Parts: sequence; structure tokens; C-alpha cells
Amino acid sequence: MNLTFANPSRFLAFARLAIPWVGALGAVLAGIGFYGAFALAPADYQQGETVRIIYIHVPAAWLSTACYGMMALSSIGTLVWRHPLADVSAKAMAPIGAAFTFLCLITGSLWGRPMWGAWWVWDARLTSVLVLFLMYCGILALWNAYEDPARAGRAAAVMTLVGAINLPIVKFSVDWWNTLHQPASVFRMGGSTIDASMLWPLLTVALGLTLVMVCLHMAAMRNEILRRRVRTLGLMAASRETQGFSA
Amino acid sequence: MMDDPHLGFIVAAYLAAICILIGLVYWIVTDFRLQKKALEELEAAGARRRSDGDLR
Repeated sequence: MNLTFANPSRFLAFARLAIPWVGALGAVLAGIGFYGAFALAPADYQQGETVRIIYIHVPAAWLSTACYGMMALSSIGTLVWRHPLADVSAKAMAPIGAAFTFLCLITGSLWGRPMWGAWWVWDARLTSVLVLFLMYCGILALWNAYEDPARAGRAAAVMTLVGAINLPIVKFSVDWWNTLHQPASVFRMGGSTIDASMLWPLLTVALGLTLVMVCLHMAAMRNEILRRRVRTLGLMAASRETQGFSA
Repeated sequence: MMDDPHLGFIVAAYLAAICILIGLVYWIVTDFRLQKKALEELEAAGARRRSDGDLR
């Protein structure tokens, strides 16, 4: 499959079929999850109704690191295998990852104010997620700093892989340091500490938003492939005009 | 939930989520239309790649 869709034209044909189905399935799953979160799941005994924010904050947080992980894998594909779609994938993922990270920070802040009494604290988890967001912004700026997408792809791949060191820091910051942010409560040794009535909506929303993210990623990759075709054809047309003038 | 003192924070969080997701979708759809239009204009002007198939 990897080699089959290495061809951008084959990828475009696949994306045209997959984007509406994956997007629709993601939206339906997220809708079911949010229904469960608001209509079926109980309020938390400590957080009260504010726990409803967690159903968007936690999936956004997972996706912020998942998007960066995908960018790091794509960057390896760019630098090691020169896969034709690798840097397209990395570039397409950067704004999506930045959006989910921003959403994670905003919703976290809106949860923190009533629960902790502060919009922001400089604890290890919050700071490492802020660094992740700044990494996304830096990578987006780097992509726009180069005219040639191949050169931009290699530079962004190196920066992405250097920044990937932040991923385990984000994940384990709550274990390595004494943070105000609570430790992992879903993916942890010994199983989840969340009650099933709250866990299933959370996981359903997370799965739904993951599919939405995959759909957006494929659509953004399609845009990037088209952008490169436009660039190539534009350069070819300019070259023909130059030859016409000199003849 | 409607009489919860923190209702404003919950509403603001979901409004932010809706705005960010709709913004992302809008940007991707607009970008797709722009690139497709630019490609069609170039092809109408006679520009064509060697490997062009009709797979768009």
C-alpha cells in the first residue's frame, strides 16, 4: 500500500474517494461521543459540570502529539527514503497539528480557571505543550521561508525531528515533575482511572476527531500536490515564454 | 447543567472548538478551490505535464 500510493496521482484518486467517507464517519462518531458526554455521562463529583470541557480538551491534546508524531514519521520518510509524498504529508499536517494544539491550550485554560483558579501556570505539562505549539509555528514559518518546496521540506524535516524530543517530555512531564496538571488517567499502567460512563464518550470523541484529522490531512495533502503541480506548470509556462523571447 | 456557575467556561471551550475546526475546514476547502482553479487555467492555456492523467 505504501508503494502503491507513493504516486501522487494514485494518492489523489484514493483521496477523492476516501475524504468524504472518512470525514463523515469521523463527524458521526464525534457526534455520538458528544451526545454521550453531554446527555448520558454524569457530572464529576469534584469538577462538577466543568468536566464537560475534558471531552474536547483531552482528544485535542492527544491529537496535538499524534499530529506531531505523524510529521516526525513523514520527516524520516523525507530524509531517509525521499518518499515523494513524505514532505507533502509533513507540510499538510503542520497547520492541523497547530490548530489542535491551540485548541488544547485554549480549552485547558478555560478548564483551569474555574478548577485551579488560574488561566495558566508554568508547570511542566502546560509549558511543554506551549513549546509544542511554538514548534508547529516555527515549522510553518520555515515552510514559508523557502521558494523551493524540496529545500523547504528537508529543512523542515530536520527541525521537526529535533523538535520530536519534546513528545516524550509532553507525555511523561506529569510523571517526571511534580505538576499541577493531573497525571495520566486513561493510558496508564494498571488501566484507566476514569469510570466507564465517562470513558466511552471520551474515547468515541477521540476516535471521531482522529478520523476528522485524517480526513483533513488527506485534503490538505491533496491541496499541496495541486499547489506543486500549479508551480511546476507555471515554471514550465514561464520557461516557454523565455525561450520564445530569445528565439 | 444550565444553572452551573461555570457554564460560561464550558460554552466558551466548545465555541472555541467549533471556530477552530470550522476555520480549518474553510481554509482547506478554499485552498482546494484556489489550486484547482489555478491548475485549470494553466491547463486551458496549454500547459501540461508529461505524466498528467485525469486523476484529479
